[in-house]
Amino acid sequence: MRWSFGVIVAATILCACQEKLTSPADCPALCPGGTPQVFDTVLTAVAGADSTYTGYVQAHQAAAMPVTNGLEGFEQRGLVRFLARGDSVTLRDTLRGYTIDSVSLSFTLVTRDTTTTGLELLLYRVGPRFDSTTTYTDVAPAFVPESLVAVVPIADTVNSGILRTVLQGADLSKVQLSPADSGNLAIGLRLSAPTFTGVRIGALAGNSSPVFTTYATLDVPDTGTAKLRNIALTAGANTTVSEAPPLVMDTTLLAVGGAPSSRSLIRFDLPPRIRDSATIVRASIELTPVAPIIGLPNTNGSDTLPTAVVAKPLLADVGAKSPVSIDPRRIPKDTLDVGATGVSLEAVRLVELWIGFAPRPSSIMLSLEPEASSFSHPVFYSSRALDPALRPRLRLSYLLRFPFEGP
Amino acid sequence: MHRAGLVLSLLLAPGVLWAQASQFGVRGLGFPGRALAVRSQGTAGGFGLFDPESSQNPAALASLGALTSVFTISQNFRTVENPAGTASLRGTRFPQLMVGGPVQSMPAAVGFSYSNYTTRDFTLATGSTIDLRGVPVSVTDTFSSRGGLSDFRIAGAYRFSDRWALGGAFHIISGSNRLTSTRIFDDPAYLSSRQHSELSYAGAGISLGLTRQFGPRFAVAGLVRADGHVNVDRDSTRVATVDLPYTFGLGLRWNPAAVLNVAAQTLVRTWSGANDDLLALGGNGAQNTIEVAAGAEYFTDRRQPTRQPIRFGARYATMAFPLVPGEQGHEFGLSIGSSLRFAQQRAGIDLSLEHVWRSEGVYSERAFLLSFGISVRP
Repeated sequence: MRWSFGVIVAATILCACQEKLTSPADCPALCPGGTPQVFDTVLTAVAGADSTYTGYVQAHQAAAMPVTNGLEGFEQRGLVRFLARGDSVTLRDTLRGYTIDSVSLSFTLVTRDTTTTGLELLLYRVGPRFDSTTTYTDVAPAFVPESLVAVVPIADTVNSGILRTVLQGADLSKVQLSPADSGNLAIGLRLSAPTFTGVRIGALAGNSSPVFTTYATLDVPDTGTAKLRNIALTAGANTTVSEAPPLVMDTTLLAVGGAPSSRSLIRFDLPPRIRDSATIVRASIELTPVAPIIGLPNTNGSDTLPTAVVAKPLLADVGAKSPVSIDPRRIPKDTLDVGATGVSLEAVRLVELWIGFAPRPSSIMLSLEPEASSFSHPVFYSSRALDPALRPRLRLSYLLRFPFEGP
Repeated sequence: MHRAGLVLSLLLAPGVLWAQASQFGVRGLGFPGRALAVRSQGTAGGFGLFDPESSQNPAALASLGALTSVFTISQNFRTVENPAGTASLRGTRFPQLMVGGPVQSMPAAVGFSYSNYTTRDFTLATGSTIDLRGVPVSVTDTFSSRGGLSDFRIAGAYRFSDRWALGGAFHIISGSNRLTSTRIFDDPAYLSSRQHSELSYAGAGISLGLTRQFGPRFAVAGLVRADGHVNVDRDSTRVATVDLPYTFGLGLRWNPAAVLNVAAQTLVRTWSGANDDLLALGGNGAQNTIEVAAGAEYFTDRRQPTRQPIRFGARYATMAFPLVPGEQGHEFGLSIGSSLRFAQQRAGIDLSLEHVWRSEGVYSERAFLLSFGISVRP
């Protein structure tokens, strides 16, 4: 009986013990094959094979509208055209007229300089006929005191969120729609601030459209709640116009951002020793701006759409219209800091695509996020820069095949 | 049908068997196994050349009286010491599987077995700081190997008389090492690196053995084995051919009293034949080994010798694959064991506990090896 008990105990010990096989290694005696070696190398972009292309995202397609009062030396204004408001409302299968009690205009504040105070968003009545070709000069006459609809103060404590103003009584005449308007109210946005600064206002493409709400009383005989109606209209179109002259690209440089947005295609050439047998542990794409980065400072903690340079891997290299990967794990980004003199993107997951059995083109498409709605328009040195240290660089840290000792 | 099913299931159970891991198995082909059943381990291997359940001497099969299958589980608890530090390790292995039995109407027996030939089963960890992009970065490297070589033996023995038995066996030596090198960086900006390689082995050998009984109390066993060479493929590409050793063994058994059996044996293996091959592969080479073991079995029940006998023994051996070129490690072990038979002797359990000390210069290791054998005679 005691034997049986002992056997059971022994069997339990044997079966229950967990393996633990890791022991300290004293090299070289206990390091067959040696220790892994990490190599570091810097590759510059293929000379003359990098280019900037413009026209990807137009101002009216941007996720937010940048509105400034001269932040970059020029002013940017927003234009919003709301969906058409009819002159009657269907109630109980009958079209009913209505009387407007009040209206509200709501805008989403996306970004602001959190250290600047006294901001005001000025709303002007503009013509509803603007489109993507409308220029700053075209609409400038509308931004006069006579067209001022409302001044929306932006509280110093509000870093992001809804800005709203309500018009009623005599002010309703400022947003009264005439037959020439075809039911569309159009509003121009301008920023007023004691210093040069900017804000970003939510736009249709960013799912944060401005909203024009009409509070009306229907012309019906009864006196119930059916008489009261809210008619909420989102923007049917929005865009931004800039006082700046059209940008003339220097073809020896690489630019990203702007509206319409620019992207830059940069090509690298991995040496066979890396392409065929390396394990890349770190890859950094380094870019040198021609001038320190400008933009809206002090947005930390408030910016729901931070400006960043992103590098997307190409699925096929066919130039400006190359399809790019949308896998977020493969798309490195570096948030742009105002005043930065260098940009570095940690791109190891991207560069992994360039090696292996089915490698992708060793090229990247550089762009700015959010496109067409940033205050920054960085310009970088290209592979044509005379100083090699200024050219786009790919800094790789990698291990070659571990020399596994034979038996 | 039932027996055939049992045999088949036992054969198919573990594809690869390993004995125990050891830091002295990092180099060369690994840590050589001993092809012993638990009942012989209890005597430190002193009875190995006489034990039909072990796989050392094919002639010993002749003493099998019934179809027998044996399965062995071994748990090791090790403490390793080297200049890099100390660690307590443990592992579970299945070092021996044997099925054999007599041939009807013939004074012969046949059997086959899987046993451990070498074990290369370890994980080694080092830490260091390296300079990357001008910044010191802490890294942890681990190098691990899983696998080893197994010895599949098909053996037969023929008893010419009450005194003589001869045996022969064909050995298929095969296995693999799955090697992994991992480097982990403390700096999260760096991805960890993991690289794999697989070595596979294939070889064959033969062995001849005899046992000779001199009177009722004394017996001698002898063994000659040639393993030829093993082909080594790395990731399906032939990288080397490594010579395997010749093995010469001599065993003596004495029965001084009805309740006591004493045995001793010596095994010499010419591992130095692999020296040049291993050096050419960048290894540290190999050296000949000698193993000397002696043990005794005391029967607590004279009428039922298999009922709770007490086994004990000691052994000394040199090790084949040096950690430092030119040096040779050695090991010393003390064993104790016993067994239990039940179900009218049709089933049994063997237990052994061995304490071994191994060393080579500044590298040392102590281990407790707890082995558990299950035998079935359907």
